[in-house]
Amino acid sequence: MSTTGREVLRRSITGQRRSVALASLLTACHQGGEALVPVVIGVVIDQAVAGGSVGTLLFWLAVLAVLFAALSTSYRLGARFGERAAERAAHDLRLDVGRRVLHPGGGAEAGNLAGELVSIGTSDAKRVGQVNGVLPFGVAGLAGLLVSAVVLLTMSLPLGLLVLLGTPPMLYLAHLIGKPLERRSEAEQERSAFASGIATDLVAGLRVLKGVGAERAAVDRYRRTSQDSLRATLRAARAQAWHNGALLALTGIFIAVVALVGGNLAAAGDISVGDLVAAVGLAQYLITPFSIFSWVNGELAQGRASAGRIADVLNAPSAVDAGEATIPAPAAGHVRLSALSRGALRDVDFEARPGELLGVVATDPAAATDLLDCLGRAADPATGSVSVDAVDLSTVDPSRVREVVLVAAHDADLFAGTVAENFGTGPLTEEAMTAAAVDEVAGALPDGVATEVTERGRSLSGGQRQRVALARALAVDAPVLVLHDPTTAVDTVTEARIAAGLAELRRGRTTILVTTSPALLAATDRVVLLDDGRIAGEGSHADLAGRADYRAAVLS
Amino acid sequence: MTRELLPVADGRRIRAVVGELAGRSKGRAAAAFTMLVAATAIGLLTAPLLGRVVDLVATRRPAAELLTPVVALVLVAVGQAIATAIGVSLVARLGETILAELRERFVERALGLPLDQLERAGSGDLTARVTNDVSVVAEGVRQALPELGRSVLTVVLTLGALAVLDWRFLLAALVAVPIQLWTVRWYVPRAKPLYASQREAVGAQQQQLLDTIGGAKTVRAFRLADAHLERVRQRSGTAVDLALRGIRLVTRFYARLNLAEFVGLSAVLAVGFLLVGADAVTVGVATAAALYFHSLFGPITTALALVDDAQAAAASLARLIGVADLPAEASPSRPARPVDASVKTAAAGYSYVDGHPVLRDVDLDVSPGERVALVGASGAGKTTLAKLIAGIHQPSSGSVTLGGVALEELGPEATRRTVALISQEVHVFAGPLAEDLRLARPSASDADLRAALAKVGALSWVDSLPSGLDTVVGEGGHQLTVTQAQQLALVRLVLADPPIAILDEATAEAGSAGSRVLESAAAAALEGRTALVVAHRLTQAAASDRIVVLDAGAVVESGTHDDLVATGGQYAKLWAAWSGQRA
Repeated sequence: MSTTGREVLRRSITGQRRSVALASLLTACHQGGEALVPVVIGVVIDQAVAGGSVGTLLFWLAVLAVLFAALSTSYRLGARFGERAAERAAHDLRLDVGRRVLHPGGGAEAGNLAGELVSIGTSDAKRVGQVNGVLPFGVAGLAGLLVSAVVLLTMSLPLGLLVLLGTPPMLYLAHLIGKPLERRSEAEQERSAFASGIATDLVAGLRVLKGVGAERAAVDRYRRTSQDSLRATLRAARAQAWHNGALLALTGIFIAVVALVGGNLAAAGDISVGDLVAAVGLAQYLITPFSIFSWVNGELAQGRASAGRIADVLNAPSAVDAGEATIPAPAAGHVRLSALSRGALRDVDFEARPGELLGVVATDPAAATDLLDCLGRAADPATGSVSVDAVDLSTVDPSRVREVVLVAAHDADLFAGTVAENFGTGPLTEEAMTAAAVDEVAGALPDGVATEVTERGRSLSGGQRQRVALARALAVDAPVLVLHDPTTAVDTVTEARIAAGLAELRRGRTTILVTTSPALLAATDRVVLLDDGRIAGEGSHADLAGRADYRAAVLS
Repeated sequence: MTRELLPVADGRRIRAVVGELAGRSKGRAAAAFTMLVAATAIGLLTAPLLGRVVDLVATRRPAAELLTPVVALVLVAVGQAIATAIGVSLVARLGETILAELRERFVERALGLPLDQLERAGSGDLTARVTNDVSVVAEGVRQALPELGRSVLTVVLTLGALAVLDWRFLLAALVAVPIQLWTVRWYVPRAKPLYASQREAVGAQQQQLLDTIGGAKTVRAFRLADAHLERVRQRSGTAVDLALRGIRLVTRFYARLNLAEFVGLSAVLAVGFLLVGADAVTVGVATAAALYFHSLFGPITTALALVDDAQAAAASLARLIGVADLPAEASPSRPARPVDASVKTAAAGYSYVDGHPVLRDVDLDVSPGERVALVGASGAGKTTLAKLIAGIHQPSSGSVTLGGVALEELGPEATRRTVALISQEVHVFAGPLAEDLRLARPSASDADLRAALAKVGALSWVDSLPSGLDTVVGEGGHQLTVTQAQQLALVRLVLADPPIAILDEATAEAGSAGSRVLESAAAAALEGRTALVVAHRLTQAAASDRIVVLDAGAVVESGTHDDLVATGGQYAKLWAAWSGQRA
């Protein structure tokens, strides 16, 4: 079921084919209309201004009115259909990307930073959708070209051929002149964007700068960057200006040639004066369709690249497969690891009995992360197994596993919304709030638990965020709860309070506490010590506190 | 806390600042303007020359005479191209130089803002100005301004040329103006709020994706995928709806301009008909007039469509100048010098809101070189005390002295040289790692940097980075772990080398394994300094010379680890649980 970028792009267009087709038709009518304006001007001058009657004038002005009404209306509707096709296609792709990333099997984040995935869901989706908005213009440019060609060729074969065959080489020449300039200007523009990036970065780190009195040095550094960037921008602007100048000169010379040839033909009586006027007008107009083509081409290239990136996300292999087995409800919460190896874990055997509060101390942080991944089935063991109530987790659908086993990671994110919305998803809201000392957090916030937090909870301090995340995990009342370092940013006094509250709230439910915090370990029933990914000891916190390796891991 | 947003400049001040900056390069401004006028004027010769060709043909002159106007057309094209290129380059030079000066002033003032003013404004205000407003103004200078200028110039000169052909053509062209004015008056008040809500909706959609995708692991663990997809669908749907409303508005705007084009063009053609009929002008002149008017379609549409861009740029400029105009922090003319590295607070109190003190009567005496640990629950006032000593807040009552000198006599600059505050907020500055570190000591050699890195135990991982000290780190560069980033903060402390240092939970965010690395790094960085450490782990407190326990804004216990454990107070209870003794 792998999808190529080409297919993503094709589906995005065919998904909106009605709008794209209508937009193409209407935009083509608009371009054709624009091309006819100078033609009608020529006819008015020929038929009416150069010695026609008032009636003729009025007649041709009425024709002009019809032309304007038609081109205006077709643009209005065409642009709307095009935009609708672009926006809707982007919307659908955005949801596809979101759905893939959130799929219980996981795996889409592998090798991608969150920021990159977000930009794929926003910018890339937008660019692929934009192809739907751009295609109609390409079709319209073609229509404009055809209308001009027909008019020119019926008027005069040599003049028509001159204009039609002369325009592409002229634009190609302009492109050749511009190419090195453009390449240079792109590089320069990148450097100039750098200056504003640096300013943002310095402001973001303002407190850090102030903390060590480095503002002066930072201002000096910024001035240097800004001046560098100014020089780069000026070089880019100059290159751009001369490129535009070259295009202007070429167009002007081309029109002069058309006027010369057309004038000679008119003087020889091969074409009328009106034809001459129209030919000059069309020579000016033809620049438009050709520049549309090069623009459409560029957009298509970008759209294809973006579609490729989207396809990569949609095709990312799952981290774990679906499963058929299920854990019988209600789950007792008997967790057993048998000869489990994965990553930093080597041959690990231990169990958490139903209702037990088990502490796990891992001297190697990687071992802790691997353990968490296996317990929540974010990954399957390389060898050995994890079972809950005697059912091997690797045979159970990941979604069902997480119904029974809730893994609250150390860096668990909060979400935008109020504090209450963040932990209000489970049945034990009130109790969880007290146990995680969120009541203290709420007291320090302007609107208590109704305070809005920004995305990923960034408007809260680290300690506040941790406590709300802990409350959220406790409130779910999962049969098995796995907590990883839930209080590292919490002060020691509050940590002691949380340890007691946590033990009380989880009484009778299985809880695995992966931590090296003595305050939390002191509240557990039993502690397992993992050294170098292997089981090194087991006992109560007080018992183990006598062992040197345990003291080194926990109390140093 | 009530928000006090940073100031915004008024129209008069904007004109004054821009005028002052432009005034420095008056010659360049005049040259730019002259070149653009020349370019436009030369370009306007095209239409009468084409009209001349038409006349020659219409009056059946020999074909050879066509050569003169055609050669003139070529010269016009080349001349216009050169003048345009020079004029546009000069305008860019003028605009970009002003922009650079403005953004440098802005950054200088922004970095000089006293922290408590910044906190009252909320850091979002300043961040928004430096990210959005700087780029909106730059965009305006780079695109809107030159295009607007050229379009307006073209329109004005073309209308002038129409008048030269015959003043009645100008009158005919002006028939379109009322329709155009009415269109703009109809459009701008509708477009402004719509674009504002569009930007907001796109921002919200972006935030939602950041939230959902950034937190994907959590979403899966808590099985919130459906709810989150629904949120994404809603946010994205809102943005789509607004985009479609936007295109409806824009297309209606263009339809009205089309009407103006038709009315004006018909009027010019009708006047041509009458004038040619009355033998007042030739067919060629009438042709030129019609072509002139046709060539106005583009520039008029451009100029009118740029009206709201120009307004947005002006609004952003007001916010930039508002900050750039702030006065610099006042320093005492002759700052006193601290005699040693001692810290003393006498009956220090502080309240963010009147009547709600967060610190009360804190007496603290730290001798030079002593290391004091602050222990207490959140809200006990540890951070506030740290900020008072670092000079970020002024005490509401009592006093703070460093080395025997009161903070106000020391002045902000000397205070920051005397005391450093490292908080849990980590930031790695974008760019080569060495440049980040040199912010703390610009004169440091590579050897100095390596020595400082070695001191906090960071040299080994820095050496293993792809390009060592030259590795580009921070936003868009090599990503460091939280522990590494916080270690860098300690390296900066070593390089800045102040006699007094405060660590406010500087080891908190790293997770338990990282905490231990940081604690030993912190111990090394604090060597030889008077130190106040807001301790997170009791082991860190136990290793200090003295422990001060704060509760509800007051000092409740103070003494060495052994003393406090022996006294059996709050600290002793905490320690018992930690060390596994049954309390």
